[in-house]
Amino acid sequence: MARVLKNRFFIILAGKTTILLLLSVVFFFAPSDISAQRRFSKTYPATRSVRLKLSNRDGMVTVEGWNRPEVQIQAYLETPATSVNPRVVDGTIYIDMVKENYGRGEVGGVNFTIRVPRDASVDIETKVGNLSVSNVNGGLVSARISTNGDITLTNISAKVVNAENGIGNIFFDGDLQESGSYRFRSMSGDINLRIPFNSSFKLTATAPSTRSINLGYFSSEDLRFVSDGRRVTGQVRDGASFLTVTNQRGSITFLRR
Amino acid sequence: MNCIECQENISPYLDGELNEVRAADMRAHLSICAGCAKICEDFSVILDTCRENVPSEIIPPNSQALWCRINNLIESEIKPEIIPEQPKKGLFSRGWNLTFSQAGAGVLAIALISSLLTVVGIRNYFEPSREDFTSRSNASQTTLEKFFSKIGLSDTPQQARERRIKEQQEAIAYWTKRVQERRGQWDVRMRDAFDRNLNMIDESVSEYTIILQENPDDDLTGEMLDTVLTDKMDLLREFSDL
Repeated sequence: MARVLKNRFFIILAGKTTILLLLSVVFFFAPSDISAQRRFSKTYPATRSVRLKLSNRDGMVTVEGWNRPEVQIQAYLETPATSVNPRVVDGTIYIDMVKENYGRGEVGGVNFTIRVPRDASVDIETKVGNLSVSNVNGGLVSARISTNGDITLTNISAKVVNAENGIGNIFFDGDLQESGSYRFRSMSGDINLRIPFNSSFKLTATAPSTRSINLGYFSSEDLRFVSDGRRVTGQVRDGASFLTVTNQRGSITFLRR
Repeated sequence: MNCIECQENISPYLDGELNEVRAADMRAHLSICAGCAKICEDFSVILDTCRENVPSEIIPPNSQALWCRINNLIESEIKPEIIPEQPKKGLFSRGWNLTFSQAGAGVLAIALISSLLTVVGIRNYFEPSREDFTSRSNASQTTLEKFFSKIGLSDTPQQARERRIKEQQEAIAYWTKRVQERRGQWDVRMRDAFDRNLNMIDESVSEYTIILQENPDDDLTGEMLDTVLTDKMDLLREFSDL
């Protein structure tokens, strides 16, 4: 009797093990929507002077210039149901996470890492999260955060640069081109601008609450403090480009590159 | 008796109203003057015709009044009433007879008024920039702007700023309502970020409002107030679509 019971036990155990192994094989090889939505990756061939336009809801966006003539988009999604659907129209790559996910309850954060040709124009924005752009020398670099987040622009050489955020720091490290336009705005945080020592620009820098405007190396007689030290206006060298900096409740600092 | 006297007395003569001496003179003249005799004959024929053929039914009830009216009518045709000319008063009393200097001054005045109206029209047509609205003070107003303000063609800087702020506040109220409807859809992180930034903006609005109350001519604060209100509007608008 005991032997019969023992055999039966082994038979049941073997059956269960087999079922578990089969299920493991099935789940391992089957295409899983959940795992596919956690990471999105796609590469597009880039036309000359390609443009990237990204509008994110929540998450960090990192854009790097590289030497390949293609755009590589990688997205890491916190919520599997979040939709990422880039579109390419006339040499511009559009990614609109706001419209794509309008009306969805839990969208969650999406972190992007995007690689673009160095001469690409980059126009990115997010509601919440940090933005970082580096090694880009196209016509335009624009980064905008509606609320909280830091903006870091390093090794940038573009004719038009815009950086704007709510609460957070802005750091710019790049060239100022002749007749270029450079605009930095923050509600609260520090704005640090690192530019070459021989930069030529017309400046309007305003820090109404803190009056903290540190011109550093660029301090000269041609730059004067007005309105009780809340604003600095004037020009450096020939005033070849236009630099406008406004920080409502933070500081502005110029650094020599 | 001459012809004039004779013609004047024809009618009384035919009516038998002249005295004998005068009637004798008339007869004497008519016998030697063919012209007067002809006139007298015509009058006589007319009188005879009237006496014989006038029907009684066309006699008006008040013949005297009728004759008076006819008489007046005849007199008005013979001697039209001359309306005494009133002496002209004012700028155009001499018509268009202007001297060269007056004409030149007039042309200059028209050109100046046209220019002013054009400037005002253009200023009203195009949306005024932020600088026009909020960052201008009495100190930074041009002479022309001061002139416009005084004659009521444009707002003073304070009025313009108040009007602009009122418009912005209305827009903010609208978008705030929209955001309230949507914010239930956001996750906690999004709500926190939005509230933090909105509070930060409101702090700046309060700070600048107080400064402007103390010093309405502070151009920079006016500009900053407009900037943060615009930021608030943009933030609300963005999040109303989220």
